[in-house]
Amino acid sequence: MSNIIKGPSTRELMAQMAAEADQLSIRDRRDFLRKGIAAVGGMAATTMAGGAIAKEVNTANLPPNEPAWGKQLGHGVVENPYGHPSEYEKHVVRRTVPWLTADSIASISMTPLQDLKGIITPNGLVFERYHGGVPQIPMEEHRLIIHGLVERPIIFTMEDLMRFPSVSQIKFIECPANGGMEWKGAQMEALQFTHGMLSCCEWTGVPLKVLLEEAGVKPEGKWILAEGADGSHMSRSIPLEKALEDTLVVYAQNGERLRPEQGYPLRLLNPGWEGNTSIKWLRRLEVGDKPWYHREETSKYTDLMPDGRARKFTFVQETNSVITSPCPENPIVKSGFLEIEGIAWSGRGRIKQVDISFDGGVSWVPANLKGLVLDKALTRFSLVTKWDGQPWLLQSRAIDETGYVQPTLKQLRDVRGGNSIYHKNSIHTWKVAPNGGITNVQIT
Amino acid sequence: MFRSLKKSLIATTLGAALAMTGTVVQAEKLGIGATASAEEIAGWDIDIRPDGKGLPKGQGSVEEGEALYEQFCSTCHGLFGEGEGRWPVLAGGQDTLTEERPTKTVGSYWPYASTLYDYIRRAMPFTAPRSLSDEQVYHITAYVLYLNEIVEEDFVLDQDSLATIKMPNQDGFFVDPRPDVQNTRCMKNCADPKQLHIAGTLRGITPVGHFVEGADAPAASHEAQMEQESLKEKVRKASIRGEEVSAGGHGAAAALSDKAVAGKPTYEGACKVCHGSGLTGSPKVGDSDAWQPRIKQGMATMVGHAIKGFSGETGVMPPKGGRVDLSDKQVEEAVAYMVESSQ
Repeated sequence: MSNIIKGPSTRELMAQMAAEADQLSIRDRRDFLRKGIAAVGGMAATTMAGGAIAKEVNTANLPPNEPAWGKQLGHGVVENPYGHPSEYEKHVVRRTVPWLTADSIASISMTPLQDLKGIITPNGLVFERYHGGVPQIPMEEHRLIIHGLVERPIIFTMEDLMRFPSVSQIKFIECPANGGMEWKGAQMEALQFTHGMLSCCEWTGVPLKVLLEEAGVKPEGKWILAEGADGSHMSRSIPLEKALEDTLVVYAQNGERLRPEQGYPLRLLNPGWEGNTSIKWLRRLEVGDKPWYHREETSKYTDLMPDGRARKFTFVQETNSVITSPCPENPIVKSGFLEIEGIAWSGRGRIKQVDISFDGGVSWVPANLKGLVLDKALTRFSLVTKWDGQPWLLQSRAIDETGYVQPTLKQLRDVRGGNSIYHKNSIHTWKVAPNGGITNVQIT
Repeated sequence: MFRSLKKSLIATTLGAALAMTGTVVQAEKLGIGATASAEEIAGWDIDIRPDGKGLPKGQGSVEEGEALYEQFCSTCHGLFGEGEGRWPVLAGGQDTLTEERPTKTVGSYWPYASTLYDYIRRAMPFTAPRSLSDEQVYHITAYVLYLNEIVEEDFVLDQDSLATIKMPNQDGFFVDPRPDVQNTRCMKNCADPKQLHIAGTLRGITPVGHFVEGADAPAASHEAQMEQESLKEKVRKASIRGEEVSAGGHGAAAALSDKAVAGKPTYEGACKVCHGSGLTGSPKVGDSDAWQPRIKQGMATMVGHAIKGFSGETGVMPPKGGRVDLSDKQVEEAVAYMVESSQ
């Protein structure tokens, strides 16, 4: 900004504005500064509909002028041996809601869904959930033990595991608490916080079935305890049927080895199931005849109902969807042509259809699915339309291949009350203001 | 003709051999991975089940548990299990599960006592997992059950008695019945527009860092986040006015002494849980006002308190922060790091 503002009069005006803003609350001040900056910077920045701040533009780089980067050389190869995003994309980062958890070691961050395209989440933006921080584990010192009700207990090195024929699959992973802050009311004025505990990657590894066959599960074996090597030694009981159906033991994501945040060097992946069952830093799989009822499947990750009883083993992430553009972070900036875009996903299979409502769910029109439509993966939908200042109540509603239709918030609340924390997959509403600004609302 | 026949014969034989090999390999397994020894498994096999399977030998008492609890657990969970800050509440909350704000504790919610032993052994104390002996875990488990009025003061907890404990909420869980909600794909006149009630967001609880350029929102509380944003605003505006303002806080890292630098890993691994956020009345690193009165007492006093423990006006510092595995030297270095970062 400062390199754009050159005239002393502008500087004075900015200073005066900043001083005035000091008297305001943070929220008001932000709005004030936004509007003020746009007014002052008439030559450099323009207010857009929806209150978005247009980036300052140096007209010296615009046609018919030859831009600065066309008159010099850029840096050479391996300046960044492992590349990173453009310096103009620094706002595209994971963010957390600090008051959710007691500290940052056992906490969660969210993926900036509002900034992503397609269905793949870049590795550095996959949401984080740790129960005891991120361990740094040398690949050579990591072991996976399979034992319990098996014919031959096995200890695998990473080298061993990579000798097995590998498979690669694109699957979403979602925390069951995604959206959980909004059971009792809308709270989060941002898509990143309402839906960002969600990512989708291409995962590479070995089907757990193959490893279990190698060990030989005894007929009494019905459950598997998966355990992490980190300080929390996170553990979950997984039914054997799931393990034999599609669970993977994963060592790579989106083409490279797992990130430490995602379980390097080894993690479990239970496609379509709540993320915490996909144990990271996986070190042990024990086959047993009963579940273990550990802390993360009793005290946590159980869903309290209005009658005081709680649901256990609520594994599946049911069909869900949300509009990613527009959204609070992506207001509508111009009247006229508008592509409404979003993502849909189901833990039970493929997305079959997504519908969009402009009037809060009174009437619906079908959207188009675009790109890949895969089993238990994010699926992108789109609807091309026009907007001329109408005060929309925008919603999306997904239907999966089992015929399950994403429910309304009222339908969920009528059955589950307001204290179940997890698995809130209801239809989400964005309110579109006449200036194109977007707010998070609930329709009851 | 003959050659082509021979070729196809070879192909057929080869194909059959491959197919056979494939079958054989499946049946005989790939033979990858070494057989795990009993010792290797025993070291990692730490899980406990409700029926007591997995419990090690040993026993615990409420009395010995109390002392251990105060040393290792009370900083976060409170002296009576009431929970400090946002750390988990362990006791109380009976009969609150149907209330507007239920309190889910070991006594009010957990279905099995085995989970307590398992969890303490696998993950507690938070800053030093797997540091307690099996016997210590029995003691602490007994005490937490006592705090919840589930066992009497003289109860002896061991690998036989633990599985006999019936928890108050044992029958409070049932298997997931979803899909439990049936929506239909209605396209027109799906609701009465006059009946739509639109509820906006509750203000003031969205983390504000989200909208600040470059903010990664690392603050430990909403208040701290506001402070942080406020500071950034000051710096930003000062730069507009052409003034110079220090961003404050940790800018002095380069000036740290060797001792303080050596103490940083200990701080990160042991002290930061409380001193990073000011939890339980502890002086927060970087908060010069909170540290000044302490710094005036001198390094020797501060290090002595950190090693031996100390009850102050604002809170309790357990000996070595509960990390008895740390050497005195490590504690001293960590104190140096905190002091020099909070001048």
